[in-house]
Amino acid sequence: MSGFVKSSERKLSTQKFGGLQSKRRTNTVFNIISFILIVSIAAVVLLPIWWIFRSSVMGSQGIFLWPPTFFPLGTLNVTEWLWSNYIINPASFNFWLNLRNSLTITVPCVIFGTATAISCAYAFARLRFRGKKFLFSLCVGSMLMPAAVTLVPLYMAWSALGLVPSYWPLILPYLCGGGAFNIFLLRQFIRTVPRELDEAAKIDGAGYFRTLVSIIVPSIKSAIIVVALLIFITTWNDLLQQMIYIHSRESYTMVLGLTSFFGTFRTDFAGMFAATVMTILPPLVIYIFGQRYFVEGIVMTGMKN
Amino acid sequence: MRLNLRGALGTTTCCDGCPHNGYGMNIFRKEKKEKSIIAIKEQRAAYVFLIPAFLGLSLITYLPLLAALIVGFTDLTVFMLVRGEAPSFVGLENFRFIFTNPSINFLNSIYVTIYFALFAIISSVIYSMFIAVLLNRKMPGRTFLRAVFYIPYILPSAAVMISWFFLLRYEGGLVNYILVNMGFDRVHFLSSADTVIPALVMIAVWTCGNLIVIFLAGLQNVPRVYMEAAEVDGANFWQRFWRITIPCMTPIIFFNMLMSLVVNLQVVVPALAVTSGGPGQSTMFMTYLLYHFGPRTGQYAFASAMAFVFFLISALLAAVIFLTSKSWIFYEGDDK
Repeated sequence: MSGFVKSSERKLSTQKFGGLQSKRRTNTVFNIISFILIVSIAAVVLLPIWWIFRSSVMGSQGIFLWPPTFFPLGTLNVTEWLWSNYIINPASFNFWLNLRNSLTITVPCVIFGTATAISCAYAFARLRFRGKKFLFSLCVGSMLMPAAVTLVPLYMAWSALGLVPSYWPLILPYLCGGGAFNIFLLRQFIRTVPRELDEAAKIDGAGYFRTLVSIIVPSIKSAIIVVALLIFITTWNDLLQQMIYIHSRESYTMVLGLTSFFGTFRTDFAGMFAATVMTILPPLVIYIFGQRYFVEGIVMTGMKN
Repeated sequence: MRLNLRGALGTTTCCDGCPHNGYGMNIFRKEKKEKSIIAIKEQRAAYVFLIPAFLGLSLITYLPLLAALIVGFTDLTVFMLVRGEAPSFVGLENFRFIFTNPSINFLNSIYVTIYFALFAIISSVIYSMFIAVLLNRKMPGRTFLRAVFYIPYILPSAAVMISWFFLLRYEGGLVNYILVNMGFDRVHFLSSADTVIPALVMIAVWTCGNLIVIFLAGLQNVPRVYMEAAEVDGANFWQRFWRITIPCMTPIIFFNMLMSLVVNLQVVVPALAVTSGGPGQSTMFMTYLLYHFGPRTGQYAFASAMAFVFFLISALLAAVIFLTSKSWIFYEGDDK
């Protein structure tokens, strides 16, 4: 009898400990597997970007070597790489001119787009007014509107105003709001700022504008950086609009220059890749600087509604 | 008395306009009687703050939408605008023309667009959910890894397309090199009508870092209590994933599907930068046709008719997602 009790007790205890231990072990195994998995997927994601760079410092013959080498020209010696590819004939891809043109469009878009998005988001997050729900759903609803639908009427309107070809059709829309998603994102952030700060400012005699500038804006700095970066990236990358509204080579932007280079100079592959790297670099550099705000910033809001 | 209590509660909570709490609007109505000057001032300030954004919304989005709907029923072309002639209404003539003209092949364009969009939405939502769940675990270098998956999204899509064009080449492309080394046959990818859409979907999936980030944001909100309760009850990873993570994430999945729908229906950069609608007509996306008939050749009436059809299709697909969402979205607090 006593033996039976003992054995069953032992059974119970071994089951318990065995269970926990094996669980911990499977957890560790699982963690290692998922880590290896994610690192290898990340490597696959980065591979094309490395490949562009690799191809940009090889000669036109080197690019089509079979089998392809992982490192440029099969060497890690940086001095042997053909950096001369980056000296592209300005007649086919004028880096400095294109860069200047791109910045002429993106900088005002970023500044005014962010500012107007903040003011709109502030009103939606903090102020009470008639028709708020309706206006907010109009705003969010525009996220669902494919911009392609309005392409033709907008083109007609801009040409009627005599603004085609020019940069105005690319810049002016960003003076007004900077996109519904950005407004939505900023609104989410502003809602996380404690309302007590607003109240305190109000008691100190600050008006709405003053509250926005000196209380809200400093507390949502990271969100503002995210939105500014998003606007920069969308305006920098927007090939379709730029193709529609920019006609002459002198006013080509980076992506337009690259696309036309690809279309007309298909033989100069080395220069092609160098031009691709140059087009990719500005958003990439900006992203690397703002990266810690970027991903974590959006993740931390929780996008809660 | 009850109203006063509500008012007192309402001033301390910040739930204005929030669907879970009607108090915000209540105080507003109540305060309007007592201290109307403050309320009116606040309202006036709000409208001032909204002016730029709504100027943009009405002039850049809603008014042009209306214009596209109207112009689609007229015979407007760029020449008439130049000469100052007034367009006349032609009823459904434009729609008859775009659907029956074999050289436009509008039905094919609708087909390839929807095929690409649906394929891309489903693949990128599944892929980004998978990556987000993996990235949400504690691991060394998590911040760096999260940053890596966002990189493809920030790159200019024209540059991305051109680079992939080289990676996917039949002769000497890296992907085909890897395939051959793994013992597979080479694939034509972008140069064959059968494989071009799946190849473009693969590129779209590669680019969908924004969905991953939004999923990661959503995963922060999956209540830890549920997870811990399930763990105590002995649920394994898969059970927890399917029974807790997925149901809690359904609103985010819904949001991402809608975002992905809008983006992928408007796909145009592959055609603009690399394929020019080919091979054959397999990448004649609707936006590319719109671009061709609108700004390129000035046949505004046809382009507007296409835009109208485009609008209907996107509204229809969004409506499908919205209507079915009631059956699969789980909101916390629902008894289901």
